[in-house]
Amino acid sequence: MTRAGSVASKKYRQALTALVLPLTSFAILLLLWQMVIVVFHVQGYIAPRPLDAIRAIPDNWSVMSPLVVQIVKETVFGFLLGAAIGIFFGVIMSKIPVVQKLLYPTLVLSQAVPVIVIAFPLALIFGFGSVKPILAIVVWIVFFPVTVNVIDGLGHVDKDLLNLAKVYGASRWRAFVQIEIPATVSPLFSGLKIGATYAITGAFIGELASPEQVGNTGTSLAVYAEKASANLNVPLVYGLTMLMAVIGVAWFLTMVGLEVLATPWLRRSTVRHWRRRGRDIATSQGDH
Amino acid sequence: MSDPSGPARAQGYIEGVTSTALLELSAVAKTFADKMVLAPTDLSIAEGSFVAIVGPSGCGKSTLFNIIAGLLAPDAGEVRLEGRDVVGATGHVGYMLQKDLLVPWRSVEDNITMAARLTRKVTSADRAEARQIAQKYGLGEFLDHYPQALSGGMRQRVAFMRTLVTHQALLLLDEPFGALDAQTRLEMQRWLLDVWRESGRTVLFITHDVDESIFLSDRVLVMSPRPGRVVADLANPLARPRDLDVLTDPDFVALKSQIMHLLHGGER
Repeated sequence: MTRAGSVASKKYRQALTALVLPLTSFAILLLLWQMVIVVFHVQGYIAPRPLDAIRAIPDNWSVMSPLVVQIVKETVFGFLLGAAIGIFFGVIMSKIPVVQKLLYPTLVLSQAVPVIVIAFPLALIFGFGSVKPILAIVVWIVFFPVTVNVIDGLGHVDKDLLNLAKVYGASRWRAFVQIEIPATVSPLFSGLKIGATYAITGAFIGELASPEQVGNTGTSLAVYAEKASANLNVPLVYGLTMLMAVIGVAWFLTMVGLEVLATPWLRRSTVRHWRRRGRDIATSQGDH
Repeated sequence: MSDPSGPARAQGYIEGVTSTALLELSAVAKTFADKMVLAPTDLSIAEGSFVAIVGPSGCGKSTLFNIIAGLLAPDAGEVRLEGRDVVGATGHVGYMLQKDLLVPWRSVEDNITMAARLTRKVTSADRAEARQIAQKYGLGEFLDHYPQALSGGMRQRVAFMRTLVTHQALLLLDEPFGALDAQTRLEMQRWLLDVWRESGRTVLFITHDVDESIFLSDRVLVMSPRPGRVVADLANPLARPRDLDVLTDPDFVALKSQIMHLLHGGER
């Protein structure tokens, strides 16, 4: 099929553009950074050259690596917990209007409080120095965009489609599973992507508010960054900033990848091969 | 022809043939917020017949459909399908709208078996039937396609196959071809007549298009708004099978002129 061929080459070009353009913009950003430092004679105690900042990470890796692993764990587990809670609230609130009216303003209020402020009471509630307040802060940040998007998605399922399901005699549960859930996959991922970008911020703030919790090292990446700043280890401060950004972006891209896997119909014209049922077997079973 | 003061009487008759009524409505009425959208309506639809309903928007034809399908409860009256009272119940008709309502996340095959999936476990027999019907009507090679890879006409065809495999005796089709271009629509009308003849189902077909209502039906119900009611019940004298030449048949033209007068010219 020529159409399939041209679609494939178009997809290839799109993928290339999707990869090249962001990388170009990152390169330009680093180049601008380098230029500003050279042109304005920025002193090393204010900002390092980009390469020095990047190099600070491998140079200190042996000390940092358990701390990085720790913050990634906090980010991922906090995110998963936040996403689960967000989905739960989204479904309950959209299915029970009273609950939505009751909770929505409070949830908005929860997000109006600056995270850095709420971090301290959370640390007190969940136990200063334990990992729980850190997870709680990540959950605090992640659940909200997920809940809002799930409510939005479930609220925008085609009413005619739901009526059709009813005419066919579908139970509410079947209609929910077969129609409402798949129709909400895309909005859900919008919420997950927002949550994924912010999760690392939550983990970092949590580590600041509830320090001294990582096993034997007795510190965390946030505390480590605080110390680097106090010691005027400028390249390391900037390097850590970039590392945080990379972790955030990586987690965001993980969500993008999952979304692509979860919504094949948005990019493909046919179902994936492994989803096609064995024609011959099924036909012979159906024929008798 | 009609008595605006009382309930519109619509009798089921086809050319002297006495058939059993599949669907019977008596004094079915519906009011929304003090506005009577459907005046008390009696209706009897013979088994195996193809009945078209024409009327301007707001004449209550979709309300009538939703009451028959069980989506709306009438304020008064009875709806009987094969003698059973079906007021407020669902799961007893095939139903299709202008919007194809195919789900984008399922293949053509899985869309055709949608009704089964919504009420029970889909069996290999369901899938075999879906493949068979798709192959029969020329969509066999698109079984693994997602709906958005298909043209509008093909999508409506899939939507109709989904309606057929529900195995309901009564199919409610609400302007199913309204969004298609004239060429595709004509193609779909001829296809529908073929499928209807083979399947032996009873069809209630809503349309704005007078030509379409005559070309397809055994009987045309003309509805008018404020309040929505059946103002005329016309037998269609055209012989079957029909093809494009009936569009210029004198009987066709006479019936068309009669319907046009009812719709636009009042009853002078």
